[in-house]
Amino acid sequence: MNIIILIKQVPETSNVKMDEETGTMIRDGVESIINPLDLYAIEVGIQLKEKFGGKITVITLGPPGAEKALKEAISMGCDDGILISGREFKGSDTWATSYALAEAIKKIENYDLILAGERATDGDTGQVGPGVASFLNLALATYISKIVEVSDKNIIAERLVEDGYEILRVPLPALLTVVKEISFPRLPTLRGKQKAKKTEIPVWSTENIELDKSKLGLKGSPTRVVKIGHPRVTRNGTIVKATDDESISETIGRLLKFIQEKELIQRGH
Amino acid sequence: MKYNPVTNKIIAKLVKIVDSKNVLTDKEKIEAYSHDEMPREQYAHMPEAVVTPETAEEIAEIVKLANKELIPVTPRGAGSGLSGGAIPVFGGIVISVEKMNKILEIDYENMVMVLEPGVVTNDVNELIAERNLFYAGYPMSLETCFIGGNVAENAGGGKAIKYGVTGRYILGLEIVTPAGEIIQLGGKLVKDVVGYNIKQLIVGSEGTLGIVTKVIVKLSPLPKYKVDLLVLFKDVKSAISMVPQILTKTGITPTSIEFMDKLSVQTSCRYLNEHLPYQKAGAMLLIEVDGNREDHVSDDAETIGELCLKNGAIEVYVADNYTTQERIWSVRRNIAEAFKVVSPHQSLEDIVVPIAYIPDLMPELALISKKYDIQIPCYGHAGDGNLHATLVKNPRSTMKEWYEIEAKSLKELYESARELGGTISGEHGIGSKRKDFMEIAVSKNELDLMRRIKKAFDPNDIMNPGKIFDME
Repeated sequence: MNIIILIKQVPETSNVKMDEETGTMIRDGVESIINPLDLYAIEVGIQLKEKFGGKITVITLGPPGAEKALKEAISMGCDDGILISGREFKGSDTWATSYALAEAIKKIENYDLILAGERATDGDTGQVGPGVASFLNLALATYISKIVEVSDKNIIAERLVEDGYEILRVPLPALLTVVKEISFPRLPTLRGKQKAKKTEIPVWSTENIELDKSKLGLKGSPTRVVKIGHPRVTRNGTIVKATDDESISETIGRLLKFIQEKELIQRGH
Repeated sequence: MKYNPVTNKIIAKLVKIVDSKNVLTDKEKIEAYSHDEMPREQYAHMPEAVVTPETAEEIAEIVKLANKELIPVTPRGAGSGLSGGAIPVFGGIVISVEKMNKILEIDYENMVMVLEPGVVTNDVNELIAERNLFYAGYPMSLETCFIGGNVAENAGGGKAIKYGVTGRYILGLEIVTPAGEIIQLGGKLVKDVVGYNIKQLIVGSEGTLGIVTKVIVKLSPLPKYKVDLLVLFKDVKSAISMVPQILTKTGITPTSIEFMDKLSVQTSCRYLNEHLPYQKAGAMLLIEVDGNREDHVSDDAETIGELCLKNGAIEVYVADNYTTQERIWSVRRNIAEAFKVVSPHQSLEDIVVPIAYIPDLMPELALISKKYDIQIPCYGHAGDGNLHATLVKNPRSTMKEWYEIEAKSLKELYESARELGGTISGEHGIGSKRKDFMEIAVSKNELDLMRRIKKAFDPNDIMNPGKIFDME
């Protein structure tokens, strides 16, 4: 089973700052890491490879430094990496990114499955995975929390939805985006690091991929950041306080009443 | 009792010195000042009053009053100690420096910082990181502890192999002596040999010789890169015997070598819901190297990793970015917390031996564990010989039995460390907890000399009495 995994390099989130004027993130001096949610896609990809054999290719679109993220994925157990990079991609939104990734994937023959994380922790859109599937006209399943069964033609997977799970049978090749529940990412090993160090990462750009340049970069992106605002928290908390030992049971009574009124405890079905 | 109580008259005088908002006598409020991070029911003692002064002058006035009236004074930082240093064992007045938390000066030209004692040590590093500087003396309990407490305990921590402990970075101090004088010691000087080195005598004196009111710390350039290795071994012996080898054979001084036995790793991983393959490892080492060149740091990590693999390591994991580094360090950092969930009754120890003898210490721990039928998870700063062997109460024992077992097993643990040329505490201090064991660690002559020094500073024995040793 040959697998393609889409990853993104993101700023380490505890240090993110925004440029209020341009509405984009300030990435200077901030450590870049693999989007934490992509690690679950990498892990589940490696598990599938361990079970069914095959090869894993990790792809990212980003600046030259994003090579580091690909190497990290290889050190975890992926086989190859492809970096899509060049000035023409700068400022690409999710649509332009999906377009470029899809065209690059068209060049890779013989894949059965594409995996991606649920969303990136910086942009938070969750659009690129579905976007790529749409450009490639592939079956798509998002929020996958478990791979149940894999056969030659299909993959059966559990999809996390708000009030439970859906079981889907998806024809291969397909694109799945996965959620945290699916796996526990492994750590890179020393042997993996050594292998990654030796692995050459090819850089693809408009020179290698057939791309319409007018559909790339900031200019080719339909998305416009009009304004950046900060959401205001409108919730109000209530603190139920007991002032002394005697008032404890009365206080608990008030708390119980609140829980009842708000119907916070549901009876089992 | 040789001390006098804190009467209403004394309270009125305290209010006059620091204002009523800085004097606490409410039982509920002062309860928080009766304990540190050790089990409360065993070690806590209520103060009679707590004051939160804002200046050295106020502290000097309070201490003068206490000295005149023979009232014990206990200085207190963040209360994150593990030896009872901040517990007012004779009641009296607790002087908490929590309101003296200003950063007075950042002197980039001289690479020093002047701090009030209540500054949270971790905040210092967050503040100067963007100037590519750091204070290298910070201990493991980094998120809460105060610099004043670090000085009083001469705190160590996980980076001591390369960077040493608190004392190395203290260039100057201002203290209030037990007589209530304000004295400046040292300054912004790297070298200073004028007279006795009283500044370093204060460092690690556990608040028995005076109260630190100002600290001048040395800053160091922040290394740009670090790589961590998490190395899995089949058993404790193969992990521990690796430590002296790494230190003597690679030509590399790692920033830290932390050891974790199976029980420690399992307990922490379960607590964190971390799915590292801990089941297959009998023990682990967490090794960190740092430096300014990415390739050098990565080469150093590789050299150490290869040496471990050559000596039977099961697996070597490499963490060279924030995500993976946080993941593996959080296993190490959460061990103590995880054990508190398992059993609140335990004795967290910090014995230390010369690095070459760490392997010899481990069988001793196993013997004590077997003899008294208690678990002794062991983890800690193996790279500097400082191990957190922790005695955990067997759930089957009653509290009375546990206290007896604890006292006996502690004595044997300390004696084992001593026999290997080590000592009973590497970084937590003696405080009230270990003072009965001082004779295992130091000679009678040395102890007498310490008493004479204490007497010279504090003739009335009002400054943090009942700590380190008794006066007679």
